[in-house]
Amino acid sequence: MTDARARAIGLLLLASPALVVATLTVDARARRAARRAEEPALAAVAVRLPSSDLALSGGARWLRAPSIEEPGAAFADGPALPDPDPAGGAMAPPLDVWSAAAERSRPAGSPARMLIEKGARSR
Amino acid sequence: MKGSLLAHAFGALARRRARSIALGGGLAFAVALVAAVLFLTESLRGEAERAHAAHPDIVVQKLVGGRPTTIPASERAKIADIPSVREVTPRVWGYIFLPALQGNVTVVGTPRGVPPISVANGALHSGRDLVPGEHEMIAGVDLAHFLGMLPGDELGLPSADPRAHAMKLVGTFKSSLDLWTADVILCDEDDARALLGLPDGDATDLAVTLANPAEARIVAGTIIERLPTARVIERDLLERVHHLSYGRRAGLVLGASIPAILALLVLAWDRASGIGADERREIAVLKAVGWSTSDVLWAKLFESILVGAGATALGLLLGYAWVFWLGAPGLRPALVGWSVLYPRASLTPVVDVAQLLGVTIAVLGPFVLLSVVPAWRAATADPLESMRS
Repeated sequence: MTDARARAIGLLLLASPALVVATLTVDARARRAARRAEEPALAAVAVRLPSSDLALSGGARWLRAPSIEEPGAAFADGPALPDPDPAGGAMAPPLDVWSAAAERSRPAGSPARMLIEKGARSR
Repeated sequence: MKGSLLAHAFGALARRRARSIALGGGLAFAVALVAAVLFLTESLRGEAERAHAAHPDIVVQKLVGGRPTTIPASERAKIADIPSVREVTPRVWGYIFLPALQGNVTVVGTPRGVPPISVANGALHSGRDLVPGEHEMIAGVDLAHFLGMLPGDELGLPSADPRAHAMKLVGTFKSSLDLWTADVILCDEDDARALLGLPDGDATDLAVTLANPAEARIVAGTIIERLPTARVIERDLLERVHHLSYGRRAGLVLGASIPAILALLVLAWDRASGIGADERREIAVLKAVGWSTSDVLWAKLFESILVGAGATALGLLLGYAWVFWLGAPGLRPALVGWSVLYPRASLTPVVDVAQLLGVTIAVLGPFVLLSVVPAWRAATADPLESMRS
């Protein structure tokens, strides 16, 4: 192999990450542009769907729409199997909203109000 | 001068072809695996957020015993007069287990007055929109195919409710919308109510649209006050759910891959740091003919940089091709979940220059830095000692 050829290939290898990054960026941009053309169709269908969650885990109803399923649902694909996606872990209840609403609905000095205040302090 | 050293470094790699391929191949595989998981995760998050805007600002469910149950549609009156609430729509939807499919389908009732969908606006692959009261349905292409149905065929879905009617398939969703519609059966609200056994006057949940979405938190608080048993879900929280869901899945896949990646990196390190007898002799000859320590150091560094750069570029390319050109075979089921009706729609890349450069630097930087020590050791070796040994 001649020195010039080895040098050219060496330079090409050195520049290869930049070339690949540029190629992938152009391809990704083209694919995003093509996808944007489908936005009106998606918008027309999405308003009829119960959630924007993807239809990825239809076998387990609590995973089909994790954003609006029951909080803390028990889940197992089988006995003693690990829980890969607990719905309750993904979506915490709106504690601030609940406690603020509860505080407003209880009279000051009541046992329930004191309990709420104690809970708020411990948080 | 540096050009000549680069040429020499490439020549040395070519002479030790098997070692270079083993080292570069291992590194490229590790980069491809990590990059593919990142590309796929980001893409799924992006896809989930694409339909985000169509989701109602607030969803109100009723909880009994900590679990969602149906909510009386009349409860909408308690919400409708809250300032900033523009519309409250009771929604009818739910799941039906199909024994033939061994999985659930999502049955969704279409309320009156929603914008039409058609082949012309790109939402349907074939057929037409529903005509209310005609017992018609629209399903995903794969679901229809799985059930052996063509437009015009009728299907009686399993239901204990005697009101449930067999429905005629009048359209199929476009396959590019599979990610949202693969398991969806769209029908009119009365049919959905009958199929799901939902009593008249009840709804699965209430969808609340606000005049000013920025007021969602305040409206949510007011709804909780008026409906103490309600569970209020704000749209903004969904983004967090999607990030956590896909992040957790990506973490699991990467966690499972750590032993394989570590083994490859240890192998690569061992190959990179170990200097064989031939290489030692070659360095000794170079120094004997007048190369300085700096020249040898640069030549050895160039060898590492060439392998690292080539492997990183190849790994990125393989990871991208694996996910977006080939559809992530083998990886997709682990990341997107387990389903009988598997959405086939291709994913859209979300990666940008910054992320790609970030992966490149994260791999190439440590690899080159770790190569400095063995390169220095090789460059400072005594040529006479090396030749004698």
